Amino acid sequence: MKLQNSFILREYLRPQAFPTTWCPGCGLGIVMSSIAQAVHFRGLDKNNVAMVSGIGCTGRMSGYADFNTLHTTHGRAPAFATGLKMARPDMSVIVVMGDGDSMSIGGNHLVHAMRRNIGLTAVVVNNAVYGLTGGQSSPTTPVGGRTSTAASGSFERPMNLETLARAAGAAFYARATVNQTAALTRLIERAMGVSGFALVEVVSNCHVLYGRMNELGDASQMMKSMEEQTRRVNPVLLRRAAAPLRLTSAGSPATPVSTATAQGVHQDPRVPRGVIFERHGSRDYSSRYYAMLEQKARARA
Amino acid sequence: MDIVARGIYRINLYRELCKACGLCIAWCPQQVLFPDAQGYPLANAIERCVNCKACERHCPDFAIEVIPPEPESEIADVPSLIHAR
Repeated sequence: MKLQNSFILREYLRPQAFPTTWCPGCGLGIVMSSIAQAVHFRGLDKNNVAMVSGIGCTGRMSGYADFNTLHTTHGRAPAFATGLKMARPDMSVIVVMGDGDSMSIGGNHLVHAMRRNIGLTAVVVNNAVYGLTGGQSSPTTPVGGRTSTAASGSFERPMNLETLARAAGAAFYARATVNQTAALTRLIERAMGVSGFALVEVVSNCHVLYGRMNELGDASQMMKSMEEQTRRVNPVLLRRAAAPLRLTSAGSPATPVSTATAQGVHQDPRVPRGVIFERHGSRDYSSRYYAMLEQKARARA
Repeated sequence: MDIVARGIYRINLYRELCKACGLCIAWCPQQVLFPDAQGYPLANAIERCVNCKACERHCPDFAIEVIPPEPESEIADVPSLIHAR
């Protein structure tokens, strides 16, 4: 199921602002299309959806999407979005950030939004480089990746956002690529239904800066290489890890399938895509906060 | 058994939005689209189109769309949308 592009343009975007300032072939347009479709398929009113963005190529997205939009300071999009969600807990808040925006400049804000488990849908577009400012190394530049600040190859260890989200307490983490567009739409759609902080990392391409400096080819070649660089996580095994298989009798020990499937995975150089983890029974900070206020008021009365 | 009718789909190209990135041409599994001299796609072999929408899904600029006989959603008039100020 795919909405017609002209329908998305009319209903969920601001066509007067088009064409976008993004480079030809940039994956950000695909991400924007997926967000618009996810909002449509969730049946949300676009006047009840807010998009918050920071600075960077991704930050431009709030200018093109026809939701309630906030274009905020560099890296502080989760902080602004936290305030918005606390003031309007009924609103679906989507935060779009780039990798440098979310992990280096706004790393602190992202960690604390995840710690509070506030009900935001964060879309982190990861293209491994600072695109807008001319191709400097970002926190996710892979080891050996040539950038304009690491001409002979980056030797820093890239940041692992997945482990950070798990440790900080995010409710949902999924990874998608701009190549698998239907999966990207479905994962954003699912993340928007999570109560709590849902993070979708989107592996995107910067063929103009990172691709050219590392001889990765044009946009279509970079997108096609995502097919080999990622592997799909098995959703059945993920469900079994949440509810481990049992032998037939009730008193018998549960078989820890999650540890069994993890064997050999760490040797796989490919990055997993799909739902990486989901914290069941998670509850949004804003709804917990308002419930607490109500309880206090009732106790006083 | 259903027989897939060929040549019933239309492709709309919006030249004002297109940036000639070539993604639609690269992704078309049926070789419907061909680049012209400037790199813009031309639907030269439209009769081969099978409505997979790979071009439409991968277009970052919303510049191409496949129109089946019964579209999933409405078709809007894109040129008038862009120039409405």
